[in-house]
Amino acid sequence: MTGIVLALLGAALAVGLAGIGSAMGVGLVGQSAAGVVTEDPDKFGQTLLLQALPGTQGIYGLLTGFIIMQRVGVIGADLLNLTMQQGFSVFMASLPVAIVGFISAIYQGKAAAAGVGLIAKRPEELGKAIIYAVMVETYAVLALLASIMLLFGIAL
Amino acid sequence: MPVNETIFAYAVGRIRALETRLLDKGKLERMVEAASGDEALKVLAETDYAGLVAELASVHDFEKILQEEIKRVFSLVKKISPQPYLTDLMGLKYDVHNLKVLLKAKYLEETNHDILFPVGTIQIDKLRAMVTEENFRDLPVALRTAAEQITEEFAVSRDPQVIDLSLDRTLYDMLITAARNERAAVLEGLFVREVDLANIKTFLRVKRMGRNKEFFKKAFLPQGRLTADLFINLLEEPLEFLADRLAMSDYAAVVSEGVREWQEKGTITRLEKLSDDFITDYLQQGKRMPFGLEPLIGYLYAKEIEVKNIRMILVGKINGLPIEAIRERLRNVYI
Repeated sequence: MTGIVLALLGAALAVGLAGIGSAMGVGLVGQSAAGVVTEDPDKFGQTLLLQALPGTQGIYGLLTGFIIMQRVGVIGADLLNLTMQQGFSVFMASLPVAIVGFISAIYQGKAAAAGVGLIAKRPEELGKAIIYAVMVETYAVLALLASIMLLFGIAL
Repeated sequence: MPVNETIFAYAVGRIRALETRLLDKGKLERMVEAASGDEALKVLAETDYAGLVAELASVHDFEKILQEEIKRVFSLVKKISPQPYLTDLMGLKYDVHNLKVLLKAKYLEETNHDILFPVGTIQIDKLRAMVTEENFRDLPVALRTAAEQITEEFAVSRDPQVIDLSLDRTLYDMLITAARNERAAVLEGLFVREVDLANIKTFLRVKRMGRNKEFFKKAFLPQGRLTADLFINLLEEPLEFLADRLAMSDYAAVVSEGVREWQEKGTITRLEKLSDDFITDYLQQGKRMPFGLEPLIGYLYAKEIEVKNIRMILVGKINGLPIEAIRERLRNVYI
């Protein structure tokens, strides 16, 4: 086994775990929203906005995955021949966004689902419901930042 | 079994939207101030009850639409609840109520004017057949045992109180055991509080009737947080001692105010209102929960209180009660 396998595993985890988290978060908000819209179809637009919020982690994961693919040469140029240490470094760099993305998306989903309940009662407070959910986003962004800095810091 | 609370996401979303349609204080106040029963009904026709009110021939038949509404709400919540057996527990009291009414009608051989509620988990016709044939095999085990025991005991004692006492005890046994087994903390808390409040009421009645502690023990429901000894020790004391004794409990406000009115006017209406408000306060935790069973239970209870309020207003209006008298009986609303 050479380092490239570990690097690709990192890419897979970044896309996979963050994506699973987002799917769970978006799914949860979708359930809450469906409940509200059953009784009040006019709330579709507002609930959709909230539902989209936990989707970003999956995008961050994909972005990280792309950067890894590009850096190790899966996209474009020839595949690099990485040492074990290089491969392991790339794998490590993928972990912040994979782990934090997975968990923060679920919690963001919960916050956004609570926000769906909020706008069911007070549709004029959509902005506040969004802010509460977006606070969770901070930590996904920080994790993405860490992953990207690590990836570009590793000499390949 | 504790479950992931997020399975309630859809149900709670739906409840959140439904809660906005509960009658608020303003609507009830307008009904109270209406000039007559028909006028009050017109206010009701502006709300979610519009469809039901339209079918109503006369204001005197209002009970029909109230029952219809409770039935609809219970079946709706049952349908959307991921754990319908838990929300069913809220309906068990209607089964027991119906059973009581039917048993009394049978044994006291009187035309019973009490209302049967078509809400519980057992259909009334089935229940009626069971009582007529004295065959309770299709009832839940605990109810079946109780019903069979009542049939036996009544043959000997001819005491109609046996029916109420034994069935109430069985009801709360079933409810609290089920809530504990399912780890439904909100339901357990609700039933325990209902038992305590019922015991406080029993205590007042027993004391007024001057009955002894043996009688109290028979009527006492043992599943609550307040013990039988607490009450029995107070039976010989002045009534004020009850409020002192419960001053540190959750029930302090309910008891001190309720008992004062009981002593001054001899009516239990204030205590009953305060008891209902106490339960509403307890269940209001559900309003702030984004997931879980609590919002469903809170909504069911809110709907029961709403129907109770409408009934009180309409009865008051039909009988020409003064506005103030109706207003002071109204329960606080959930929203």
